[in-house]
Amino acid sequence: MSDQKELVISSGDQLLQATTRRKFLGVMGVGGAIVFLPSVFAACNNDDNNGTGVVGGGTAAQFTLNLSDDTGILNYAYVLEQLEAAYYTAALGSPGFAALSANDQEVLNDLQKHEVIHREFFKMVLGSKAIPAIVFNTTTVGALTATKDVLLKTSQLLEDTGVSAYNGAGKYLTSSANLLLAGKIVSVEARHAAAIRDIRDGANGRLFAGDDVINPQGLDVKAEPSTVIAAVGGLNVLVSPVSIGTGPNAAIKSADTPAPSPS
Amino acid sequence: MDNQPILDSIDPELIERLAVRKAEIDRGSWASPGIIAALAIGSVPIAIGVLSKDLYGQAPSASIKGVLDFALALEIFENEFYKAVLGRSASAAQNNAFTVVRALALAVPGAGNTLDQIQKHEVQHIATLQAAGATNVFGLTEASFDFTGARGAGNGPFAKATTDLPFLLQVAQGAEDTGVRAYKGQAANLMSSPGLLEAALRIHSVEARHASRIRRMRRAAANAPSSVRWSGTIRGGGAAAAGAADAGPDAAAVTAAFQSIYGAGANSTNAPSESNTMQGGIDVTTLANANFGLEAAQEAFDEPLDRADVVAIVQGFFIPTIS
Repeated sequence: MSDQKELVISSGDQLLQATTRRKFLGVMGVGGAIVFLPSVFAACNNDDNNGTGVVGGGTAAQFTLNLSDDTGILNYAYVLEQLEAAYYTAALGSPGFAALSANDQEVLNDLQKHEVIHREFFKMVLGSKAIPAIVFNTTTVGALTATKDVLLKTSQLLEDTGVSAYNGAGKYLTSSANLLLAGKIVSVEARHAAAIRDIRDGANGRLFAGDDVINPQGLDVKAEPSTVIAAVGGLNVLVSPVSIGTGPNAAIKSADTPAPSPS
Repeated sequence: MDNQPILDSIDPELIERLAVRKAEIDRGSWASPGIIAALAIGSVPIAIGVLSKDLYGQAPSASIKGVLDFALALEIFENEFYKAVLGRSASAAQNNAFTVVRALALAVPGAGNTLDQIQKHEVQHIATLQAAGATNVFGLTEASFDFTGARGAGNGPFAKATTDLPFLLQVAQGAEDTGVRAYKGQAANLMSSPGLLEAALRIHSVEARHASRIRRMRRAAANAPSSVRWSGTIRGGGAAAAGAADAGPDAAAVTAAFQSIYGAGANSTNAPSESNTMQGGIDVTTLANANFGLEAAQEAFDEPLDRADVVAIVQGFFIPTIS
């Protein structure tokens, strides 16, 4: 292959490697060709490599959440933190990121660190009860970071979704220590959401806590786990089959506010 | 059907609460099937009868009411502060005090909208807390506050906020972050009432959004150090976490106040400094695959304060003694 003119990608994971990303951008910059070997798409479409029902590094059963106890709720949080961490990690090498101002890049850099810390924190807290590492569709993630606009819009969606998820799940935690941990994280997610929204807002000054997310009672978004998992599924970024097996305590369910949908 | 005699016998305050409650139900809040059925058939007496039970059948316990009353006092404080800044206080003296800084704030694109949006939320929080059973136990009015921090003398260490926009924003950031820490510290006390816990969490994240935006306004004005993150998160703990630039003539008192806002509470186990990195017994600076150093680990988690810590922070701005 001629230097800097052609790049051969044989697996989705390669797109997440820094060296590959740099080559990718370099090749794109000179109008070269990116060759995706069939193996990339095979990996995206079906990770059942050994025919045992093991998909994306774990079985469907292992990705089935039991939200009837705190462990399940923390695993639910772990799903979201895995998604955010994977997304921002990919984003840092994306064309969308490269197009951001230095100030806005500082935001994305901070968010990536915080979300990876959250992910690794939940992994350690949950220990042997943690769900496996989720496999993400790198093609979709790539599309969602391809431009500055789609990067910021997706970041806003992820952060607002995180806020709504934690706000809706707190009531299901039975340990005050776990509730406090969730509280320590949700306010950081809310800071992120406000920062991303503010970037997208220009000089308007209201979107950080806009009327699309704060209702007339002054309450932020909240969503039940079923709503959140469905919304996350709708992003088409999860390869691993995350689902809810047992729902949370039905006696204390509450209505969702409209799902955040950045315009 | 003549509903008048029935309606007349009902406490006007209840009617007000019912209006809020009905709006909530209309928006999709949880309500018992009986209420929905009653509202659907348009029967006001039946709906009120069942709604009364919905509201008061779960009247807050003394301890929960104490949490709500405390939250209400903080929201009234924040609301009156922003009203004074925006010139909307019922007190001409409060409005006049902020005349200089108000003009400076409104000259910044977006700043007036932001302050307006924040103040709107504080009003909404007051109404929501009252609908949940909170009462104004300290008898707070627009005249109950001295925003210079001198409990009525009007010459406290924060007087600079009335004339200096960067300092005003620093104070606003401190107020919002105190609110975030206060709600976080009270969440566990609401666990017996899932609906109220959820409402409190949803107010808590709004306060965090406010604090984030104010940090960004400070950074944009190029007067704040890079420790005031564009991501709106809190770097470090104690006074340094405020990202203070110029504390004014009474710098020692101002620094001490920000030390309390971002430092550890009296019980540092319950209320660690914002610089804390021990979470759930895990040192988050040592996590595998997340080796980003101390600052990111501090930023990734916010910390609670106990009620007494919050009282100690805000008491200087209240003329009445609060507890």
